This record gives sequence, C-alpha cells and structure tokens, in this order.
Amino acid sequence: MILPRKSKYYVAAFALLGTLFSLAPLVIQWANYSSPIYAFENSFVVDKFSIILKGLFILITYLTFLLSINFIESDKYYQGEYYYLLLSSLLGALIVSSSRDLLTIFIGIELASTPMFLLSGWKKGDRKSNEGAIKFFLLGVLSASLILYGFSLLYGLSGKLVFSDISSYLLSASLANSPVVLLSAILVISGIGFKISVVPFHSWAPDTYEGAPLPVTAYLSVSSKATGFVALIILLTKVFAGSGSSWGIILVIISGLTMTIGNLVALQQNNPVRLLAYSSISQAGFILAPIAISGITGDYQDGIFASVTYLIIYAFMNLGAFLSVHLFSNYSGSSNFYEWGGVARKSPLAGVLTTVFFFSLAGIPPLGGWFAKFVVFRSLLGSANSIGIILGVVGAINAVIALVYYARISKVIWMDELKSSNEEKIFQFENPLKVVGIFTVLITFVSGIFPGIFSYLGEVSSIFFGN
Amino acid sequence: MELLTNGVGLSVVVFFPLISAFIITLIPKAQEQLIKGFALVSSLITFVLSAVLLFQFDFSSADKLQLGNKISWIKSINANYEIGIDGISLPLLVLSTFITVLAIIYSIEHLPEPKSPKGFLALILVLETGMNGTFVALDLILFFVFFEIVLLPMYFMIGIWGDKTVRTVSGFKNQIETRLYASIKFFVFTLFGSAFMLLGFLGLYYRGNKTFSIPELIELGTSGAFTGTFATLVFAVLFLGFAVKVPMWPLHTWLPDAHTAAPTVGSVLLAAILLKLGSYGFVRIAIPILPEQAKAWAPAIAILSAIGIIYGSLACLAQTDLKRLIAFSSVGHMGFVMLGIASLTPIGINAAMIGMVAHGVITGLLFFLSGSMAHTYHTRDMGRLGGNMKLLPKTGALLGFTAMASLGLPGLAGFWGEFMALLGAYNPLDGLNITVFRTSMVAGAIGTVLTAGYLLWMLQRVNLGEPSDEWSDKDLHDADIYELSAWIPLVVLTVLIGVFPKLIFGATNDAVIAMLSKAFGG
Repeated sequence: MILPRKSKYYVAAFALLGTLFSLAPLVIQWANYSSPIYAFENSFVVDKFSIILKGLFILITYLTFLLSINFIESDKYYQGEYYYLLLSSLLGALIVSSSRDLLTIFIGIELASTPMFLLSGWKKGDRKSNEGAIKFFLLGVLSASLILYGFSLLYGLSGKLVFSDISSYLLSASLANSPVVLLSAILVISGIGFKISVVPFHSWAPDTYEGAPLPVTAYLSVSSKATGFVALIILLTKVFAGSGSSWGIILVIISGLTMTIGNLVALQQNNPVRLLAYSSISQAGFILAPIAISGITGDYQDGIFASVTYLIIYAFMNLGAFLSVHLFSNYSGSSNFYEWGGVARKSPLAGVLTTVFFFSLAGIPPLGGWFAKFVVFRSLLGSANSIGIILGVVGAINAVIALVYYARISKVIWMDELKSSNEEKIFQFENPLKVVGIFTVLITFVSGIFPGIFSYLGEVSSIFFGN
Repeated sequence: MELLTNGVGLSVVVFFPLISAFIITLIPKAQEQLIKGFALVSSLITFVLSAVLLFQFDFSSADKLQLGNKISWIKSINANYEIGIDGISLPLLVLSTFITVLAIIYSIEHLPEPKSPKGFLALILVLETGMNGTFVALDLILFFVFFEIVLLPMYFMIGIWGDKTVRTVSGFKNQIETRLYASIKFFVFTLFGSAFMLLGFLGLYYRGNKTFSIPELIELGTSGAFTGTFATLVFAVLFLGFAVKVPMWPLHTWLPDAHTAAPTVGSVLLAAILLKLGSYGFVRIAIPILPEQAKAWAPAIAILSAIGIIYGSLACLAQTDLKRLIAFSSVGHMGFVMLGIASLTPIGINAAMIGMVAHGVITGLLFFLSGSMAHTYHTRDMGRLGGNMKLLPKTGALLGFTAMASLGLPGLAGFWGEFMALLGAYNPLDGLNITVFRTSMVAGAIGTVLTAGYLLWMLQRVNLGEPSDEWSDKDLHDADIYELSAWIPLVVLTVLIGVFPKLIFGATNDAVIAMLSKAFGG
C-alpha cells in the first residue's frame, strides 16, 4: 500500500526516488481521509495518527539516505544491501504505526530492528563496530524475547490477538490490574525499553552508536527510537490502558532516571557521537514523561500529543545534529570534539546549522526544541498531580544541565582557536548533505516559531482514541 | 495611520531588526562598509518608528494597553500573538531601540577582536528583537520566547568577542579564559531561572481558565483566582526567573563576570536593557497577577534589595578592575529599583521605572567609557590608570559627569530613582511591615553614601592625579567622532531626565497607579 518500492537495482537514486514516491499515497490518503480504515480483521488500521507517523518515518529514512550517499560510496561498502536493509527497517516502522494486534506489532518491531543489527556492524574491519553490533544484537534478542513473553501471557490469558478484543476482555473479566497483566506490561515495557534506550536498558546505545556508520547511528537514534515509542504508545494505550496507574508509576521512575543519568553522563563525554548517544537517552526520558503521567491520570490524549510532538521535533533536530558531527569529524579527522576548535570559521554555514541544532536540542526558543519541551512540561503540570509536578521540576533542572554540554559544542567550534593542522584543509560540504541541513534547519525553525502546525496532532490523538 | 495603531507598527519594531539581521548574514563578508551601513540604517529605522509610535501613543490613557493586537498563534495551547504597550513598557521600548542605535554607531569603528562585523552586528539586531519583543508581549508564552531569545546572541557576544584574559576559577581544573567562563555562566544562570518561570506560567495557565493572556490573567488574579500554596509556589518560581535576570542578591554572581568579560557594546546592552527585563517582569507579570503573594513577599524582596545595595557598594569599594566596579554598581542600582518595586506604592514603582531608564542611560554610558578606556590603555586596573583627565580630557570629563549622575546628584537622571525609592520604602503599602521597610530604607540611604564614596574614589584613582610614566611614550587617542556621537545623546538624556523627570513619569504614572489600584484596591 504505502511501502517503498523495492527495486532490483539497489542504487541510491532509486532508493531515494522510491522513498519519496511512497509519500504520495500518504498525501492522497490524508486528503481523502474520512474515518479510520480497518483491514485484515482489525489488525491493521489507517488513521490520521498512523499517516502522520508514516510520513515521519519515510522522511527520516529519506534524509538518512541523503546522509549516506557520500559515506557509502567513499568506502566501497555494499551499496545495494545497505539501502535494502534500511528500507526493510522502514517497512517495519510503517507496519508498527498501523498495527492493532499482537502478531503484527511484533513483526513490525522486529522487522524494524533486525536490519539494524547488520547495519550497525557495517564497518567490518573496525573493532568498535563489531563490538557495538554484537552488544546490540544480544540485547536486541533479549528484548525481543521479553516482548514475546509479555505477549504470550496476554494471549494465554485472553486467547485473543487483536488489541481491542484483548482490552475489552481484560475489562469485562476485571483482570486489568491482575498480577499477570502487570507482569506482562512490565515485560513489554522492558523489552521496548531496550529499543528506546531508557535507563536501565540503555547500556548498549553509546557503544553501538559509536561503532556504527554515522548515518546508521543517526537512523538508530531517531527512527528506531521513534518506532519503539510508537509501539509503546500503542500497546500501553490500546491494551494496558486499564492498568495505567501501575505502569504509570514505573514509567515515571524510568523517565526521571533516564533524563538525569543520560544528562550527567553526557556531561563527561568528549566524543561527539557518545555525547549525542547520551543526549538521546536523556531526550528519551522527556519523550516518555507525558506517557508516564497520562498512565496515572488517564488523560492519554494530552500525553500522546506531547510525546508525538516531541518525537517529531526531536527527529529532525537530532538528524541535523548528527549531520553536524559528520561534517566536523570528517573535516578535522578527530573523534574528540575538543579538537574542533574554531572550525565554524571555515564554514559559517555548517557552524550556524550546528549551533541551531544543538541549541534546539537544549530547548532554547525560538528553535523547535523549546516547543517540544514546553508541551512535555504542559502535560506534566496539567495533570495537577504531585508526581507530575515533581517530574516537571526534575525535567526543568535537567533542561538546564543539558544546556552545559550542548553549548559546549558551539563554544568549541566558534570560540576556540583554529588548530593549525586544520587551517589549510578545505571544508567539504556535499550537496546532499546541504539538502539535509537546510531541510532540518527549516523544520527546526518553523516548528519553533509557528508551533501551531502541531495543533492538528491534538485532534489526531483524539481520533486515535475515538476507535 | 491605522497601520501604526493596529499592531503592525509594533510588530515591525520587534521584527524589523531580526529581518535585517537575516539580510546581513546574506551580505558577503568582504563588504564591511555595506554591512555596517545597513545595520546602522535598520537600527535607525527601528528607532524612528518607535519614536513615531511615541506620538501615536495616547498619553491621556497611558494606563491602557495601546497600539496592539491579538492574533492566534498556537491554537492547541491557546497561546496568542498578543502585543501592546502602555505607560510602563513605552519608555523601556524606546530606550531599547535608542541604545541599540548607539551601540551600532559605536561598533562601526570599535569592534573588539576578532573583528567580523557581520556576525557582531547581526547578533546585536537579533538581541534587539528579543528585547523589544519582551517589552511588547502580552502573552506569557510570547513573553517567554522573547525573554529567551536574548540569551543566544549575548552568549555568543561574550563568548566570541569577550575578554581573553586567562584566569583561575574555583571548580575548574585548568585555567580558563574569562569570556568562556562568563558566557556559559550567564547562560546557565538565566536559563535556570527561566526554566522554573515557565513552570510557573504553566501553573497560571491551568488555574486560570487555560489562558496565557497577561491582561486576562490580571483580571483573574485581582479577582482572587490564585490563592494558597499554589500561588505561593508560582510567585516563588516567577521570582526566581526574574530575580536572576535583575539580578538580585544572592543570585547576582553571574553579573560581574558577564560584564567584565563582555565586549563594550555587550556590557552596555546587558546593563542598559537586559537587566530591565527582570524588573519589568515583576511590574508587568508577577505583581499584577499575584497581588496577594506580592504583598506577602514584599518584605523579603525589600530586605534582599537592601542587602544588594549595601553588598554592591561594599564590593565596589574592593574592586581594582574598572569594569568590574561598574558591574557591581549595577547590583546596587538595581537594588534601588527593586526596593521601589517592593514598596508596592505608586511612588516606589514610579521610582523603579525612572530608575530603570536612568540606570540604562547612565550605566550604559559608564560601560561605554570604561570599555573605550580599556581599549586605549589595554588595562582596566585602576592602580595603573590615573591622570586620565590629562591624558584623555574628553573621556575624562565625561567619566566625571557620568559618575556624578550615577551617584545620584540632584538635577541628573540618577537622582530620582534613588530618592523616590527611599521615599517609597519609608511609607510602603498599607499592611506591609513598616519596620522592615524603614530598616531597608536606612540601609538604602547608607548605600547612597557608599555609592558616592566608591564613585568618587574611582574618579580620584582614575581621573585625577598625575599620569604614570607608563603612558608617557604611548600614543593615546581620545574619543573619536563615533564614540562621541554614541555618548553625547546619553549625556543629553541624563540631563533631560534629571531636569524634567516628567518625561518618564508622564508615561508611567497613570499606568502604575492603575495597576496598583487594580491589584490592591484604592
């Protein structure tokens, strides 16, 4: 339906075109949208929620391809397989956003993450790449089995696969808060916790991010994370909605820990990729917070609105941040960002882009990140719940801590002295990368200055709950 | 003319600098004259437009919000693009556009290393958008966004063009350049305050019928919608956000560092406008929306202000660095502003308003002078300076004049703010603890003496005496035409406000009285 075409000529141009082309059905669906369409006995749905997320996933993949072109060509990697695997992962993400039964969502989750095991080990000769891929693979298998255990408990209990059947069964049998269902919820949260790399399931992320090729890392930290979050949102609200008060507390603790630990460790990093890895762990804590609180209060609509808005803004600014890291580490040949002194003067455009992305991640208006943080605070305080307010205060403190390391990058590239070894080098900023940079920076600005464009998400998340 | 009154005029004042900054980034770097000329012209246009608005402004109803508009901005959270000015914001808005012009005139010939006028001027203009925007915003979220926009340009201004002296800072293993330490400290302190301020705004939003509109929240607040622990907490976080910016003792520690490290123009803008964002926040948001809490907190604010006045003056006496001295004097002067605000009386808040403008003009000029002297002498150490009157007669004369204005000489602008703030503290709003306020007043009065003391001592060390031999073979340049054209308007303004304080009160008085009578009745 909206799958990217897999062609026999696995070349970059075709992959790019195909990805872009697959946006077309989405636009048509959006334009002709009247009510959710169910297929395959209610296990697959097309609603506005899924259309938006599909658009997001396709755009992310498209940008990742643009990031990859020069990278993949330069090192004589297997081009065809590279694009094929990324597209498979995209297919998984697309399935997740529409799935409404246990099997479909599991297949989607695994289809999205399995290709990433291979891709993260793409730099074959590199020990770090191998180490990261193995870690990722082992924990990925563990996470898949946890999710499966959780699902099997649900299936054993209810004998049903489709979410709406399960949740109505749990309600009618008043099992929503039974220990079995809670155990199942905990297993599912832990399993998906690995995918979204929240504390304490985050330990693989920095190593894998560091070892993987940079475009793959960007994809991992954006698309894989988003897939995990979407799966989590769907499962928690469609299946486990009745036991929200229990998993809500668990998620609140996870969310607070994730923000804090991710931030504190990020402060110590000098490798930009590891810094972004820990920063994306901390950001995951922010994305999780509204979901957690909505579990406690039962106001899922507001929570989902906040989380999905955050996810979308985060996706683009984080891709941009990876672009910056890619440019500067290529230029200086160093994976220690303290060596990047003054490089912004060699390419003011790259310097400005970097500044925008990193300060947006820090949440400074008028860049997009502020609105993301704002909606999260809004949903936390709107809960009028003391736990929510405490989590809001924790988040506010973390937002300030995060500024220190985000600002450090800008400090180094603008304020430090240019290293003499870098003076003669010519700054490479290829056209595909420029497209990524300009596109993401535009989104970052527009979403910060006219956050009104996210208003539609409010109604979308209400539609999400109408069915 | 309708364009001027329906909000378009104000919006242009806010966003024209931003657009100009964007255009500047598109001009090739080599075209320095074009960049400078363009920046100057666009800041002048902004200023002229704000002056035109001054004539459109209906002073007979200065207590009403005028020339504004309200259009939908972020529908999903009911945040609107709501702007307007009244007598309280008008003087500050004009001050902001005016000081920016002077800052750009000064920058034409006096750019700190590494020159790069393109980036520097673009940042000044972005900064201006943030400052003007904060003064016209009537929606909490809009206010927050503008309040934060000023952070980035100032961060880069300090960090890139700031003081490169290496120093040891406790807590850092290695020595660090002043500019790097000061810039991040400034950023983190302010963001810390404003992150909590945002939580407070959200609290008001949820308790106040889900609106961020300041006028609507004032209506709700004065009719008693916000009470109890909730209101106490909200006032506490708003206090944190604004007090860091003012800065009030003991949250002031970023200020001396930032001022010392910032380039001349950065210090000027920081002192003249950025600090006012905090005190303006108290008058525009915290007090009218949470009047009962303001009353409960007023004694504490008064005590902190009094401590700030005394502390600032004593710290000044201990300084050897000229710029650092002026920075600490800001802590003292803003203490007077906050003391006036804490009294919650028309006379006190009017004192605060004129004090803000006067401090902007006088301390702005002091930073211009000290920055220029630091540039000429390559030192700010007052022990090495001396005989400035003989070496640089024009700069020296201006320094003498400005120091007099700063210590509150009657007839010059600085007098009204200090004198009336003390008057306000002598007789605060009914129901406030008289003993606390009178003690604060006495402390403030002692502070004025100390202020006179350190400023005169500074003059003695810097301006008077015989120049040291160090300078005898150096070719020192006195103020040039760019410097004088940036400074003379400030001198004129100092005298004008000193002689006709009605220039400010004419705008502020009605608005202040209306605000207070709405908040506290009577």
